[in-house]
Amino acid sequence: MTLLARVSAGLILWAFGFSLLYALQGAGCAYGWQEIQLFGAALLRWFLVVTWLLLVAAGLALLRLTRSASSDFERRVTLATVLAGAGAMLVTGSPVALTSACA
Amino acid sequence: MNALRRHRALEAIWGAPKGWRGTAVSVNHSDIGKRFVVAAFVFFAIGGVLAMMIRAQLATPGSAFVGPDIYNQLFTMHGSIMMFLFAIPMFEGLALYMLPKMLGSRDMAFPRLSAYGWWCYLFGGTILIASMIFGVAPDGGWFMYTPLSSKAFTPGINADVWLLGITFVEISAISAAIEITVSVLKLRAPGMRLDRMPLFAWYLLITALMMIVAFPPLILGSILLEVERAFDWPFFDPSRGGSPLLWQHLFWLFGHPEVYIIFLPAAGVISTVLPVLARTRILGYGWIVAALLALAFLSFGLWVHHMFTTGIPHMALGFFSAASALVALPTAVQVFAWIGTLWNGRPELKLPMLYLLGFFVIFVIGGMTGVMLAMVPFDLQAHDTHFVVAHLHYVLIGGFIFPMLAGAYYWLPHFTGRTRDDLLGKASFWMIFVGFNVTFFMMHLTGLLGMRRRVHTYPEEAGWTLLNLVSSVGSFVMAFGFALFAIDVALHLYYARRRSRNPWTAGTLEWAMPIPTPAYNIASLPTVADREPLADAPALATSLARGEGYLGQPRHGWRETMAVETTSGAIDHVVVLPGNTRLPIVTAVVTGCFFLCLLAGQYWLSLLPVAGVVALGLRWAWVLDWRRDIGPLPIGRGEVAPIHREAAGAPGWWGSAFLLVADGTALASLLFGYAFLWVIAPNWPPPERIDGGLMPGLLAAVAAAAGSLFARRSLAASADGALGPAGRAALAGAAAQLGTIVALGTLGVTALPAPQEHAYAACSWALLAYSLLHALIALLCMGFARARVAAGHVSPRRTLDLRVARLFIDYSGATLAIVLVCLLAPAVAS
Repeated sequence: MTLLARVSAGLILWAFGFSLLYALQGAGCAYGWQEIQLFGAALLRWFLVVTWLLLVAAGLALLRLTRSASSDFERRVTLATVLAGAGAMLVTGSPVALTSACA
Repeated sequence: MNALRRHRALEAIWGAPKGWRGTAVSVNHSDIGKRFVVAAFVFFAIGGVLAMMIRAQLATPGSAFVGPDIYNQLFTMHGSIMMFLFAIPMFEGLALYMLPKMLGSRDMAFPRLSAYGWWCYLFGGTILIASMIFGVAPDGGWFMYTPLSSKAFTPGINADVWLLGITFVEISAISAAIEITVSVLKLRAPGMRLDRMPLFAWYLLITALMMIVAFPPLILGSILLEVERAFDWPFFDPSRGGSPLLWQHLFWLFGHPEVYIIFLPAAGVISTVLPVLARTRILGYGWIVAALLALAFLSFGLWVHHMFTTGIPHMALGFFSAASALVALPTAVQVFAWIGTLWNGRPELKLPMLYLLGFFVIFVIGGMTGVMLAMVPFDLQAHDTHFVVAHLHYVLIGGFIFPMLAGAYYWLPHFTGRTRDDLLGKASFWMIFVGFNVTFFMMHLTGLLGMRRRVHTYPEEAGWTLLNLVSSVGSFVMAFGFALFAIDVALHLYYARRRSRNPWTAGTLEWAMPIPTPAYNIASLPTVADREPLADAPALATSLARGEGYLGQPRHGWRETMAVETTSGAIDHVVVLPGNTRLPIVTAVVTGCFFLCLLAGQYWLSLLPVAGVVALGLRWAWVLDWRRDIGPLPIGRGEVAPIHREAAGAPGWWGSAFLLVADGTALASLLFGYAFLWVIAPNWPPPERIDGGLMPGLLAAVAAAAGSLFARRSLAASADGALGPAGRAALAGAAAQLGTIVALGTLGVTALPAPQEHAYAACSWALLAYSLLHALIALLCMGFARARVAAGHVSPRRTLDLRVARLFIDYSGATLAIVLVCLLAPAVAS
């Protein structure tokens, strides 16, 4: 089971991050966080962009898992899934910087 | 013991009686798998006839072939049958039949569960088909959108048939998912590490895990909608704080992963068949596993692309549009691995390969139109048109039926022990391939011209007449192709040459046994040192028949197979599986009575079958009789291993753990719904919130915590051999759970508003009901544990019953804490 957990770690983080961004966007719009301005942008935008970047960084940090892999198979699959997870976080989270939040 | 005597002894242990009695009591995976496959094909034929009726209706404008009411039933039942009664059960059947053979095992981990799932599928499917005969079939579309499916717009039982019938059938899907997961993880041949497993097992493992997470949202949604229809709890009624979008979310949380749940097993067939016919090994084993994992996760981030036109903010559209486009990448990794394998090998254009080439053409087109629909501006134009119908059929028929037909021709010799020439099979291929493209390519065009799906007719001046006529002609060509396939298979059963094992010179273990296979699969279990054991050792089959592997000596009438450590494949323990029994069919009949009572609106009467299911469930667990310690058993080759009831990682524990994962997903979906309605739905905040309830809530939490402590104490005492204190602790645990039930009931009655008033109250009551149900299950677990201790089933070595009971009790306690926080937070906040 450890192997399955390790090779899924990057993608589990993506699933968590994706859900978190969607939930923050929904909650932020519902409770008016987009109306509060901070350093030239809405508080909701700051919140989402910082969360997104932290999630991408956390995804990349999981590359450390490949160092302790017990076999070539585990190393290769972990590397691929961690990169897939971080890449997916980068792409699927990018609307937080590019699109209108609540309209 | 010579090979023939071993065969007779094993056949006597693993076989089933002849005739109807054998049909009713058999739990053998080959029997159950074959039944699933045959029944799924029958349902496919019924769904196919409905499709032909749909095309007959649309062939000409203003057709009077059927009226709108019947047409609504036709397309709803066509979609529901193909998704729930054909695609999922078909792959379940293949998995149940094939997995143990490929993994070098003698059966699945929970044979009685397989049989129970089969009977639930058969009875549930029969209810759905019977509803068509009585003219009350579901008619709201296969995704049953509210408010169309709510009481106001579907006052008859049509929607109830769908909600209850599908939920009944889904019991078999959840059963199969748990069965497959535990079997792949634990019941493999010794030495078969995870990275030595056949790719087919990887595909099925990941599909099964997806099912464990994907099906509970649908089951929960169906329960909520049925409760709304039956008792007026307004989960989806916007005038009382509900939202029809909640149904869409819950449905598509299941519905989109479902597409991949259907595709992945078929892709597993491709990854198995294609390298054999290309006479090489699969290219990029590790990359394919990584792509599978990525696909599985990403497929859960796409569901909102079915809801692009519901007025969702741009940012959310962006999330799901990006994920929808991104999911093409892991799919492409697999496609390129298959193309590379073909390039690398020396492909033979045999019949299964023909179907695989058909798959490539159709599936790639379906994938490309999928990327088109993932783009929001295009989807806004094409949504709910025949373009979408064309896309989904290209993906599902291309991605599922063509590979499964390739698999059918590849594995037919395994089922029948015979091979035939390809003439009829090739004719059927070309009719299906040409007929399919003529039918569905036209639908891209009618869709782009603006023809909406689910319309029962259209005016001549719309300009869609010729395209529709061609499409209808194509559908009949395709149907004749499928009929030819069925005839070819029937001829194969009776008029084909007998063959010895392994006609394709394949390397995987399912070909290391006689064909057709005996009930026990293999006379002894191999040691696996390669992904293709037969390529490594061509004489392996003979050696196993001689009993030179593990468990080659039948004993005590036990159905024995090996369990391994999950990752390394090292020998872990011997599993003794239960034999033939009537329990699965009887339990399925009683379960069916429960659903029929609900369908008839006899809610109080439905408590009777519920009590019956509980009694049968306890009997189910009780008959696993083991009142003495066995100790390490010889398993052959001079080695010994403990029996599963005396081992730490027994399949029963793992099965319970995965069942709780599914259960937890249902709770997470309910909490999502609760939060969604708070944030998004109109008419919030609710007029009346929880009033008090802190004290009973606190008492419930304390009682549940005490229950968990007593369960631990009971287990610890058993492990120390103190069976008296263990029994007393179990009894105290049961009393604590009773306290939880009373406290929760008090909380509901004294503090919560009536559930019909507002969606807030309905959700609160639903959460409370969830916890009450689990406290009741925990009570039963503790009572059962007490009885097992008293009857001598538990010893310091045999603590499996108590460990499983503790799992359920801890889960009940942990979820109760979450539910109480959600219930009491509004009270604390106000």
